[in-house]
Amino acid sequence: MDEMDFKSSVELTLGVELELQLVQPHDLDLARDAGDLLARLEKVKLPGAVKPEITESMIELNTSIHRGHLTLAAELGVMRDAVVREAGMLNLQVCGGGTHPFHSWSARRIFPTERFKHILERYGYLAKQFTVFGQHIHLGCANGDDAVYLVHMMTRYVPHFIALSAASPFYQGEDTSFQSSRLTAINAFPLAGHMPFVEDWAEFIEYYKKMRALGVVESMKDFYWDIRPKPEYGTVEIRICDTPLSVARAAQLAAYAQALAKWLLDERPHPALRAVYLVNAFNRFEAARFGLRGQLIDPFEQKKRPLAADILDTLAGVMPQAEALAGADALAALATDVRRGYSDADWLRERFAANGSLAHTVRNSAARWAGDKPGASG
Amino acid sequence: MSLGFLPQLPPVFGQPALFGALLLAGLLGGELVRRLLGLPRITGYVLAGVLLGPQVSGLLAPGALGEARVLIDLSLGLIVFELGHRLDVQWLRRNRWLFVAALAESAFCFGAVLAALLAFGFQPLLAATAAAIGTATSPAVVLLVAHELRAAGQVTERMLLFTAVNCGLAYVALTLLLPFLHLEHAMSWHEAALHPLYILGGSALVGFVASLALLWLADWVGKREDRQFILLVALVVLAVGAARSLNLSVVVTLITLGMLARNFDYEQVLLPLRFGYGGQLFFVILFVLTGASLEFTALPAVAAAVVAFIVARYLGKSLAILAFGRLSGVRSGSAGLLSLALQPMSGLAVVMVLDTAAMYPAFGGDLGAVVLSAVAVLEILGPIATQFALKRAGEADPAAGSA
Repeated sequence: MDEMDFKSSVELTLGVELELQLVQPHDLDLARDAGDLLARLEKVKLPGAVKPEITESMIELNTSIHRGHLTLAAELGVMRDAVVREAGMLNLQVCGGGTHPFHSWSARRIFPTERFKHILERYGYLAKQFTVFGQHIHLGCANGDDAVYLVHMMTRYVPHFIALSAASPFYQGEDTSFQSSRLTAINAFPLAGHMPFVEDWAEFIEYYKKMRALGVVESMKDFYWDIRPKPEYGTVEIRICDTPLSVARAAQLAAYAQALAKWLLDERPHPALRAVYLVNAFNRFEAARFGLRGQLIDPFEQKKRPLAADILDTLAGVMPQAEALAGADALAALATDVRRGYSDADWLRERFAANGSLAHTVRNSAARWAGDKPGASG
Repeated sequence: MSLGFLPQLPPVFGQPALFGALLLAGLLGGELVRRLLGLPRITGYVLAGVLLGPQVSGLLAPGALGEARVLIDLSLGLIVFELGHRLDVQWLRRNRWLFVAALAESAFCFGAVLAALLAFGFQPLLAATAAAIGTATSPAVVLLVAHELRAAGQVTERMLLFTAVNCGLAYVALTLLLPFLHLEHAMSWHEAALHPLYILGGSALVGFVASLALLWLADWVGKREDRQFILLVALVVLAVGAARSLNLSVVVTLITLGMLARNFDYEQVLLPLRFGYGGQLFFVILFVLTGASLEFTALPAVAAAVVAFIVARYLGKSLAILAFGRLSGVRSGSAGLLSLALQPMSGLAVVMVLDTAAMYPAFGGDLGAVVLSAVAVLEILGPIATQFALKRAGEADPAAGSA
């Protein structure tokens, strides 16, 4: 079987990957204990998997496959509790958020696997700067053609996911003025960006083979696209979100992606449009810089409008799909925050304003991730 | 012609010149040892001290060492404070086996050293006193090696935690042995009973009051790293001074201050602790002075007992860690490295011996020689062992080079 055979999966099944920060309590800087923590977690029976990531300060939670976001949220809760408990035994704290607010990238150590060593060799300091934390959402597709269509159509909504998940205002000890500064770290990679405008899976395979023959890539993993088809899982993978500060928000984002995908695949509201990629860089920047206060250019309507209004309209538009998938509450929760103009990035800035120190902001954020009452920890 | 403005010859150098000379000697010694031998800088600081000290060149006269005692106390105070600050009570509560392992590490070590010294025919009470001193790992060495290697990870964290626990317990044990020493010296029983209570209770009280003052003032000063640094040094120095003038224990006072400042900080007013370059000055001074006060002359006479002391100490520490390390969740292989990392003895032990000998001259004889000789050996070898262990555990930052 070819790695590019698109494995058919049940349409709109859901899976989530969450990259998490490991923090040492004495100075709230990133820790280096991923290896020890993973060794402990191997002995714990978990519904999903926990894996290493590029540096020893990160771990990644992978959920199993779900039909809807309710069971997904429950599973994420179980995994979060296990990870927090085991991390506690090693005197580590676990945190959401797209960046660590003040770690120094040069202090990072690459997790010693062949693939990660290769990335360090190839990309140099970019590999260490890649210590940023994202949420990936997998959506099951019946076939490759559906996946290609879904990638193109979802691209219009990339700014939605950036703004709704934004949780990285601080980077290298500074307020970046961005809502999501994590994206900037990803943009540096030569194969970041988006899938080319191909018509169907056959054309995509042609493109992929050409890139392989030219020696640009060795496998699909080398494309660091915002949204990419994942043939071996039979999914489309949305990779644009910051890891939120709570598992609840992670599950809500997944519910939104699922409802949106259902609408797109069921209704096929538009044919895929090349112009989506003309406005993509602008839209993506607006969302990363200004979050919910940004602008969005709609490539189908060809006009600029406030991103928040576009999100609220879309949330309302896919509500029937969300109801069918038992995800209406999740979308309503997202809409509430959009109306307030409030995201995890704003929460982090609020904590910083209240306690005057990024170290304590990390401590608050770890408490929030562990499920304490937000704010109660000071 | 009167040249009364000229100094007497040879000129008399005061404290500032002493301070500068110690720093310079330490710096040169540290760099030379690192560049020529690839050994930790600390070993170089100590060797510089040995060369300056009464045993070799005599440039640092015993009188000067006495004057420098205040510098030793301040340096130790800062270091022990930082160690106390790293002692996370929450961690011990979450990981009970870790607590058991830390207690066992001290208990086994005490027991093993005591047994070895008894086998050499030392009097039980004095042997127990020496064993208590031997239980403590040098906080200065482990902290400095960890700093210089920029080490982070489970072995490093546990090394610091166990050191905090074994230093605290060593001091408590030493203090609890006081009544028996007192009684041997025919003091009244109530004096014997009250003295340890006064030292432990008084030190804890001073530490407690200082921690409240620190937290209250830190809240008032606000979260500014530069100001909090000054505040911290000020309170540590005050606490050291108070402990000295009240005849209390500097170590217990400062460990209490560090620990309570960390664990009472409910409002989160304290920024993470960074002593940075300022802290390094004190480290260098401490090690040069310790080197100068090392006692090698007695070593040949008591060599066998010294070897037994060092081996028993190592066995005690490693047995406990091997037995309980796995249960507390340390990966296999790192238990051995952790026990190696905990070997250093240094200035703290010298201070304990000197203080005990000052009160009870009987201790200053052979047994004092055994402990001081063991300190001399482990002062040189300990940093090498700790550096090796942290590097081998993969917890040193490769970019940081050698300590």
